[in-house]
This record gives sequence, structure tokens and C-alpha cells, in this order.
Amino acid sequence: MTNVAYDVDDDTIAVVEDTDLPRRLKDEVYETIEAREGATVEEADELAKAVETRYLDTRVEPLDPVGTVSAQSIGEPGTQLTMNTFHYAGVAEIDVTQGLPRLIELVDARKTPDTPMMTVYLEDEYATEREKAHEVVWNIEATQILALGDVSTNVADMRVQISLNKDTLQERLITAEEVAGIIEDSLGVKTVQQGTQIEFGPEEPSYRDLLQLVEELRDITFKGIEEVSRVVIRREELDTGTEEFVLYTEGSAFGDVLEIEGVDASRTTCNNIHEIHRNLGIEAAREAIIEETNNTLAEQGLDDVNVRHLMLVADMMTNRGEIESIGRHGISGSKESVLARAAFEVTVNHLLNAAIHGEVDELDGVTENVIVGKPIKLGTGDVDLRMGSTTSGSGQAD
Amino acid sequence: MVDVSQHELVPEHTVLEEEALEDVLEEYNIDRTDLPKIKRNDPALPDEAEIGDVIKIVRDSRTTDQSIVYRLVVE
Repeated sequence: MTNVAYDVDDDTIAVVEDTDLPRRLKDEVYETIEAREGATVEEADELAKAVETRYLDTRVEPLDPVGTVSAQSIGEPGTQLTMNTFHYAGVAEIDVTQGLPRLIELVDARKTPDTPMMTVYLEDEYATEREKAHEVVWNIEATQILALGDVSTNVADMRVQISLNKDTLQERLITAEEVAGIIEDSLGVKTVQQGTQIEFGPEEPSYRDLLQLVEELRDITFKGIEEVSRVVIRREELDTGTEEFVLYTEGSAFGDVLEIEGVDASRTTCNNIHEIHRNLGIEAAREAIIEETNNTLAEQGLDDVNVRHLMLVADMMTNRGEIESIGRHGISGSKESVLARAAFEVTVNHLLNAAIHGEVDELDGVTENVIVGKPIKLGTGDVDLRMGSTTSGSGQAD
Repeated sequence: MVDVSQHELVPEHTVLEEEALEDVLEEYNIDRTDLPKIKRNDPALPDEAEIGDVIKIVRDSRTTDQSIVYRLVVE
């Protein structure tokens, strides 16, 4: 496999490809060689070898406690994260949880985030024409009766009267007949519809029933997705220089949105890792955890946390095929060792339960060995070294 | 239904042949149950995958060009 993206000669390609480097580092080597025109093959070889040596040097050593290093590498910048919950994100006027609360929410694998949101990309003409994009907006944003017209109660006749706004109906692509139909279906009442006027009332004249009907009427979603309370439409520039419309939503219903016509089901995402897991599977959830934690840190200017640490966290959280939280209800709580569990949180409960059930601790892990004061099986603790074991006799000892 | 495999968050999933699996387990010196798991009802799973199969996943890696991981289909 020879690289063609860079202007270097075949011999250089041969020596670079011969090294044990990953693709991206090879590309960087090519880039450097290309920038310094006229590097000889020998120089290229020397460079490639030097990079390879450095690469092999920086790899994790066997028995390195990568988990501990990750915990510290995320924990230290974590102390600099903001503690306040709400903040307007860089995009659109949508409120999203950021900083420490968001990070905690992610590693705790909360069922629903504090501020669910979706980023909806559109395809084809929906992405380029404003009217088309608005069609999708009305299919997503929940439309309640108050957005469509005025509601008044006629106490004398025991009737609820709705006067719909013609322009709004047209804009939101819904007819008065449909509105009347939805009211009949969800409230179980007979409606009288004339043009944009809709009227209905309780079967038996009752003031209480009348008020209750009005209450219920306000909760009906006539169009769109119930969970999505607001949609913001934004025109964004693509890398290619063209522009497209992107929708940001307050509230999320990832599965439903993917089905809507005009939505690009290959790029649309949401910030609820459980919804992603349900609709796209565990691998996508892992990807989303990395992306979300990384963005949360980057948003606060802490993007120098190496992505490998976040990848390790995401790998642990998705290891069993479903999303598990870090912490006593998830990964820490499912540890084999009693002492390791007790060392984390609610110590007494774990010890008491272990005693009741007669659990045995094999002392295989790190935490339990630290507790009992034995060497841990990590780093130098797991290797045996022998010195001066040669049998050649005198001259050795001094 | 939307085609889940087309989403950019979803890497390529394929069922691993039994022979290739032997090589993988030997290379890492592990049992098949030591592999990370994937649920049978996972939306990204290929249709022909069954419990006990091992899925080969080719991720577009952040740290190198591609990384290959394996998951055992469970439950």
C-alpha cells in the first residue's frame, strides 16, 4: 500500500512503510519530509527510524496501571470544571448542562440527562431550502393548542370554543378537520367544526368537567413529538464551503426523529447515551460517551486530557454489552472482591452483607492487597528479579 | 426502519468465522467468554448473528487508523 497524498519519492515511501508506525504517524513523517524538500533516502530512513524508536518508547509498559493513570488524568482537570449547572452552549440559544454536572451525569450513566437535546441534520433539499427545513421542524416540535389559536370557555352554554388561526394552520401544515379529529380521539367528546371554529363541551352540563376538558386540551400534542418542546433552526457552513440548515432541539426522542422524512439518519445525534444505545447499539454508545466527555472537557478549555483516558472509561462502561455506570451501582459495585467494594462506598453495608453470606475474598486484585498490606500485582510488584545467580564462582562477588 | 449501519457513530460489525476466532483467542491467550460482550438485541448486530458468535468490529480509531475489536454475542 503506497501513499499518494504526499509528494515524496518511492524509496522514501519504502523506508517509511517498512517501519512499525501507525498510519497517522507515517502520514506525519511524509508531511515533514515533503516540507523539507530534497531529503535523501538515508535521511528519510534515519527520520523514520527515530520516530519509530520514540513511538515504541512511549507505548504503555506491561503492568502499567492504566486505570489509575486515567482516573488521575481526568480527576485533576475535573477540579477545574465549573460547578454551576446551566450555561448556554456555543451553538443556538439552547440551554445545556455543562461542566462538572454533565461529566458526573455521563459517568453515572443517568437514564435521562438534565437537559436532553438533539442535533438534527437534514438531507438533500431539506438541508438547503428554508421552507423544506421548516417542514421538518413542524414534524419534530410539539404543537399545542395555544400555538394554533385561542381557546375560550363559554360558561353559559357549557362549551369550549376554539378559534384557530388560519395562517398558523397553513404554516404548520395541519387542517382544522385534523385538529377536530385529534380532539375527539383524545378527549372522547363530540366536536362541532365550522371553518376555523371548533366547539365542544362535556356530555352533561358540569362546570368541573368543562374546566377539566380545557386542562386536558392544553396537554394534547397535535403535531410533532411530545418530548421536544423547542426547535432552533440554524444555517451552518460546511467544510466544503456550502451551507446547510441544522436543527437543535430542546428535549429528545432520538428513535422517532430518525424516522422522520428529510432527517439525515446517518449524522443526527443526541446527548442521551441511553437513547443512542437503544437505537444504534453498544458500539455507537461507546463512541458517544467518548465524544460527550471529550466535548464537556473541551468546552471548559481542558481538551489536553488525552483521549485514551476517556476511551478507557467508555470501554469499561460498555464492556458488558450495556451501559454501566462507574460507581457503586455499576462497575465498582460488581467487583468480585468484598474489600474492593467496601473500600469504595458504603463500607459497612458491603462488609455486613459479605459476612451474612459468608463471602470469601481471594485477594487477587489491587485494592484488597493494599488494604491487607501485601505487594500489588502491578508494575514491579508482579515480577520476580534474581541477581547474581550465575554459577561461575569467584571473581563475581566483591 | 432506518438502516443503523449507515450512521456515522456505528462501526462495521461482521460475524467472525470460527477459524479466525481460534487465531484471535490464541493471539491474546484468552477464552471467548473473556471478550467484551454485545447483546443479541443490539440494533447494530448483523441479522445472521446468534448467541455464542463473535462479532468483529472495525472502528475508525482516534489514536491510529483503524482498530479491530471483538465482542461475544450474549443473551
